[in-house]
Amino acid sequence: MSGPAPTAPESGKKPLYEGSTQFRNWRFSKEQLAQKRSALNVAAVEAVRRVIENDSPGSSKDVLFLSADEELLLVRHYLTKAVQLCGHFRFPEEVEATATTYIKRFYLTNTVMDWHPKNVMLTALFLATKTTNNPISLDSYAAHIPRTEPADVLELEFLVAQSLGFDFALWHPHRALWGAWLDLQNVTQLPPPELEQIYNQAMGHVRASRLTDAEFVYSPAQIAAACISLASPPVADTWMRSKGSDGSFINPLSAMLQEGSKLPGVDMIREVDRRLKLCKNPEKVVGSSAYLAKKAAEERLAAEKRTKKADEIRNTLSGEDPFGNDLGVTLDDDDDD
Amino acid sequence: MDAAEKANAERQARWLKEAKIGEGTYAVVYRAREKSTGRRVAIKKIKVGQFKDGLDMSAIREVKYLRELSHPNVIELLDVYSSKTNLNLVLEFLDTDLELIIKDRTLVFLPADIKSWVAMTFRGLEFCHRNFILHRDLKPNNLLVASNGQLKIADFGLARDFADPGYKMTCQVITRWYRPPELLFGARYYSTAVDIWSVGCIFAELMLRIPYLPGESDMDQLKTIFRALGTPTEDDWPGHTKLPDYVPVGQFQKTPLRDLFTAATADCLNLLGKCLLYEPRRRVSAKEALNHSYFFALPNPTHPSKLPKPPSAHSSKPSDDLDGNGDPVSSGPGGKAAGPNKRKRKLSGSGRGGKVDRMVSRKLDFGAVSTGSS
Repeated sequence: MSGPAPTAPESGKKPLYEGSTQFRNWRFSKEQLAQKRSALNVAAVEAVRRVIENDSPGSSKDVLFLSADEELLLVRHYLTKAVQLCGHFRFPEEVEATATTYIKRFYLTNTVMDWHPKNVMLTALFLATKTTNNPISLDSYAAHIPRTEPADVLELEFLVAQSLGFDFALWHPHRALWGAWLDLQNVTQLPPPELEQIYNQAMGHVRASRLTDAEFVYSPAQIAAACISLASPPVADTWMRSKGSDGSFINPLSAMLQEGSKLPGVDMIREVDRRLKLCKNPEKVVGSSAYLAKKAAEERLAAEKRTKKADEIRNTLSGEDPFGNDLGVTLDDDDDD
Repeated sequence: MDAAEKANAERQARWLKEAKIGEGTYAVVYRAREKSTGRRVAIKKIKVGQFKDGLDMSAIREVKYLRELSHPNVIELLDVYSSKTNLNLVLEFLDTDLELIIKDRTLVFLPADIKSWVAMTFRGLEFCHRNFILHRDLKPNNLLVASNGQLKIADFGLARDFADPGYKMTCQVITRWYRPPELLFGARYYSTAVDIWSVGCIFAELMLRIPYLPGESDMDQLKTIFRALGTPTEDDWPGHTKLPDYVPVGQFQKTPLRDLFTAATADCLNLLGKCLLYEPRRRVSAKEALNHSYFFALPNPTHPSKLPKPPSAHSSKPSDDLDGNGDPVSSGPGGKAAGPNKRKRKLSGSGRGGKVDRMVSRKLDFGAVSTGSS
């Protein structure tokens, strides 16, 4: 996007935003995003097909797998569900913004055919309450969500955190918009009520932007500027001029926001969800034969590892001090690596 | 294997655990190496499975902030990965901490040494504050020292972003001896000034070689502060009697800092006094402190590599304390780390994983800290 990364990162010299994990790890061009998703989708289809074939050969050819676009459609549907839940819980703006970003980031490394967005959404939202310092107890969280047990929420927490690369801190457009609003009270001559109305409209566009890919392509301040521009182009111009920006990003970004905030119809979503039931990865369906086979294989591996470790310890102990040597044994209580 | 699992396994494979160097209720610390380079690191394995509400808040805070912060005076988080139900933080390996250094009676501190440590603390803190992060648990034990003498701020288990004006924060933060009076009076709206007070206490402790304001309870802490610095008047600190938990704790005269810190220069005491101002809004900021004449006057700060440190302090200090609770877990310098299970921390399990407000009560368990480290 803008400017090459500084070669000698000397802290204090570059803008804070450019030191963030968001800037370093989570920015892509539109083309990169499309490519990423399509590669992910191809790999997922192949993997699921293999599992289905293992289970009963020949049965995969009738399955209508989801396309990358259909996956995205479903993810976006559950983004709106996350927003609804936030309203239900009266979570602060930051929780909503964080949860939606987490969900979108999750599906840049995972496929809905493995992990249904409903579950991921619930976990991502719960994680977001914690990472934004608005924790609520898991029990009361789960109690407000139909057909959801606390364990369902926790089950995916590690996977979600991993998929986010543990990059929990986010820079949100609504914060940038807040800053812009404070600036605007100084740099425009508009009467306060009028300005406030523009701010509120822009805030609506910021909220809608959470359903789009804008945050992967543009900076939070750019998104805020585009949202102001959708509410009032002259005010956006004034702000950008005061910041020394030519605003060349405004048009493509505004187009992206407007295009992305159109939501697909319920029928279409229902149809995709119905097909997902038929093409989701059987290894992830608790109780299916593929699931049981995978669990058994994992258990076999773990058992082998335990036996090996026990043997090692026995070897170390035999013919030596019954309390073991100083070295080696002490480390072995770390049973998970 | 899923892509996320695969990436995680790759991360995990980069590191080789060598030996356990400490254990607490919350985490185990291993000495480890990076396989490709042989670089020494510390791996803090946080036991997550035991928490009812999943990933625990202090682990989340620590990861959240350390992933973002990159500064010579802030501990570096090299990697994060999960293994089964544990979260593993790969941190740079640091030899010792300022508490161990202060307590080592064989070491003599020159004024230039103190200036160097204080400057590094302010540099790290200025960076945190510039990134809108409050540390909320500064104390000598959380200022780690690398083999090259660089001081690094560690343990971000209580850190948070600045709250917006009008949003409350908990006042149950910062280990008692380093806690500013506004928090002791229950202020729920506060700022970077809380960390500055802590630095002031550490600054004084470097000169005195014992904790400057060692209160025995929260109430006694206020008394201890007022005995040292005088009971604040309305002029000193406008509005403080309106704070939620305000109680009068008696009238004490201010003793001039000069009487206690006999060897300090005027510049030095001026900066110290500005860190320990009652009115938080008048307290010096980290940035202002770095521009204070103290740092420009002679003697120049000692080069980090020339700073005093415990003999052969290069093998046992976990790069972070184990449960974020401040009790130094390493056996101290000299190579032999405390064996596993020897230093099980006594901790009031009550608050952990609960509401934030209550959760931090573990931080205030000062009894455990002083017995653990004495």
